[in-house]
Amino acid sequence: MSLPIVYLFPGFDLVSFMVGFVNFYALYLAISISLNLEFGYAGIPNFGKVLFIAGGAAFSGSISGRLASYVLNIGSHQDFIVFSTRIVNQIDGVLAHDPVFAVELFIISVMIGALIGALFGYLASYPAIRLREDYLGMLLLGMAQFFQVVMRTFTPLTGGSQNIAVPDPYFYWISLGTGWRDLVAGLVMSALAILVFIYAERVAKSPLGRMLKAVRESEDAARALGKDDAVVRRNVLIVASAISGIIGAVFTMYIASVEYDTWNRVAWTFWPFLIVIIGGVGNNYGVALGAAFFSFVLKGLEQIQPVLQPYVFFDANWLQYLLFAVLLITILMLRPEGIIKEKSAPTLPKKTLGALVAGQGDPPPSGGAKVQQARTEGRASRIRRLFELGRRTSPIADG
Amino acid sequence: MVPGYLISTIVYGTLFALMAMGLTFTYMTTKVPNFAYGDFVTIGLYTAYQLHYLNHINPYGAGVAAFFIAGGASVLMYIGVLRPLARRGTSLVALMIATFGVDIGFIGIIGIYTDYMAATYRLVDAKQFFAIPGDFSLFGVQGVVYVGPAVLAAITIALYLLFKRTKFGVAMRASVENAPLARVLGVNTERIYITSWMLAGGFAGIAGALYTLWLPGGTSTGSDLIVEIFAASVLGGLTSIFGAVVGGLAVGASEDLVTTGLGLGFGLVWTVVIALLIIVVGALLLRRAAKKGRRGAKIGVGDMLSGKVLRTGAGAGAIFFMLVGVYFLFEIATGYSSDLFVQGFVSGFGPDVTPFQKAIPLLIMVATLLIIPKGLFSLRLPRLRRNKE
Repeated sequence: MSLPIVYLFPGFDLVSFMVGFVNFYALYLAISISLNLEFGYAGIPNFGKVLFIAGGAAFSGSISGRLASYVLNIGSHQDFIVFSTRIVNQIDGVLAHDPVFAVELFIISVMIGALIGALFGYLASYPAIRLREDYLGMLLLGMAQFFQVVMRTFTPLTGGSQNIAVPDPYFYWISLGTGWRDLVAGLVMSALAILVFIYAERVAKSPLGRMLKAVRESEDAARALGKDDAVVRRNVLIVASAISGIIGAVFTMYIASVEYDTWNRVAWTFWPFLIVIIGGVGNNYGVALGAAFFSFVLKGLEQIQPVLQPYVFFDANWLQYLLFAVLLITILMLRPEGIIKEKSAPTLPKKTLGALVAGQGDPPPSGGAKVQQARTEGRASRIRRLFELGRRTSPIADG
Repeated sequence: MVPGYLISTIVYGTLFALMAMGLTFTYMTTKVPNFAYGDFVTIGLYTAYQLHYLNHINPYGAGVAAFFIAGGASVLMYIGVLRPLARRGTSLVALMIATFGVDIGFIGIIGIYTDYMAATYRLVDAKQFFAIPGDFSLFGVQGVVYVGPAVLAAITIALYLLFKRTKFGVAMRASVENAPLARVLGVNTERIYITSWMLAGGFAGIAGALYTLWLPGGTSTGSDLIVEIFAASVLGGLTSIFGAVVGGLAVGASEDLVTTGLGLGFGLVWTVVIALLIIVVGALLLRRAAKKGRRGAKIGVGDMLSGKVLRTGAGAGAIFFMLVGVYFLFEIATGYSSDLFVQGFVSGFGPDVTPFQKAIPLLIMVATLLIIPKGLFSLRLPRLRRNKE
């Protein structure tokens, strides 16, 4: 049983487009949200984003196959790099009938990805808290390129220029027919993306989010208020890189192999930056919208490409590069804040704040404890006084 | 007979010096690291390619054309993208992203161009071509080995004269140092910026055209090289044109010399020299780490080895550096038979190391940015006497 085929017009299959779109959107949503955490909130221009994603992918992809071959005792006496395709084929055969082991392998791979990402993030935080933005950008770019050279040349890791196969935990779904595996993988990636989004949104709404913005705007001011900007930046880099590592691990299980040239600068550093700039820096909803727009255009172009191809003398894929370059520079010129503008960080729930400003008494008690109530009352009167003070000193009110 | 790796060192070094010079020029004027700079090299590459295969002009002649085409593209990028953005008060990071954007756009343009070449003129190797034949040869060595350094020397001397002797050069230096002040004095800084970008792109174009004589090129050559060009510029200090020449020569040379050295072995004497160098560099780093806390004060060995210094990352790193050097010396003194790594250094790791060639400039760059972010040519030499103020 394969997924149904619905043609909107010749060559355009709606269902396969939707599945491809969802996979792609989930992937890029998670990446750009984690980039937004570093770049939008903490102000670290991570031009080496590919390093953390590729790190998670390379290590988890390289270890999970070896681990499975050791545990299942499939070809464990053979050289894994040379015979990876054959060994992984047999492992996949086992995974198709053993969903528990598949889930275990999935979780272990994700954990390896997270660990490697966090480790790389910790290493990158050393320069990130010391160098100015332009030098940091160059350094991270260089580090990412260095890792790519290592991936290409250091054969024990991912086989160098010959790629290695990765055990596929979604293998069971292949037997159901074409498209089902993509659909399930898309659901898993969507779940991951939603989790990342909820986490980032909670961070943004918390005092931590406000502190990140304070550190971004003025380190000195944040420092004067007793915030340790170095520690904050380091922690943000570690967390965001761990997320990147997880994404790398999940994606490499989806494409079921590790190739060094998958992990290039354009796809994994530039596109996420483009999404963040289009959607709105320091604004998770904007970034989600930007990612949707980007994925829609890219996947749409992919579908239209065969229709367009007869009319142009060149490969129509080149148009996407031109389109996005023009789009990026136009956005930077005409609307540098992105589609959705960054809002000032909320301090109290909007309802409470509105009630306080209107002077309608105290907010509804949330906990019910007396201490809590006393604290809110104190806060309410303080805020009310602040607004009155503002009214009194405002020159417009005076005359 | 000159060994092959020395010749390739010369060519590579001069090409990198040319490219790094241009990149430094753009950084000095606009203070933005230009990630699209590699594309100007690609323009030079394809100018030489097209002129050779369609018009039968050799790459030396194409170098002149490439100077103007790549320079024009560079000026176009400055006027069309960076200047309007800078006038709107765009932040540094956003400007860097914009140069990234130009790089991406260029991928599309060069892709369409090569498709066009392949379709119209049946040039099947348009995407990836071998080194262009037809270079002259002198004393059994290819001509570019002489022409490359000659071009570099000519450009360097011309720039030196421009900066020191002409009014335009002085105005150029002034507007790099302090643009508003230069404008107050009646210097047309815009004209100077445009000239700088023209020269910067032009140097990349020349380097690209000469590159085709020596190595195979393709659509991604420029964007593959960009990080290495940055490595050269950063090593030179990013603020000094002549620093860029030194940085470019060093980075270009490092690729071939270091890989050849690691492959064939440095020999006993050079390994001792390298070990001593590592110890000296470690000691200098340690001194710097100790000096950080107490500016201007005299630093003794006691300060350098105090717990306060050693607990910092820089201090611990410096000590580690020195220990590595000492370990090398110790291993050599005891016959270096127990350690494969030291053995490899002396008698060679074999051909396995050659693929890592491309990693060496990147390592140099990472090390430079971590240890001396301002590069070689901003290090202050220690004063002999204290200033009396």
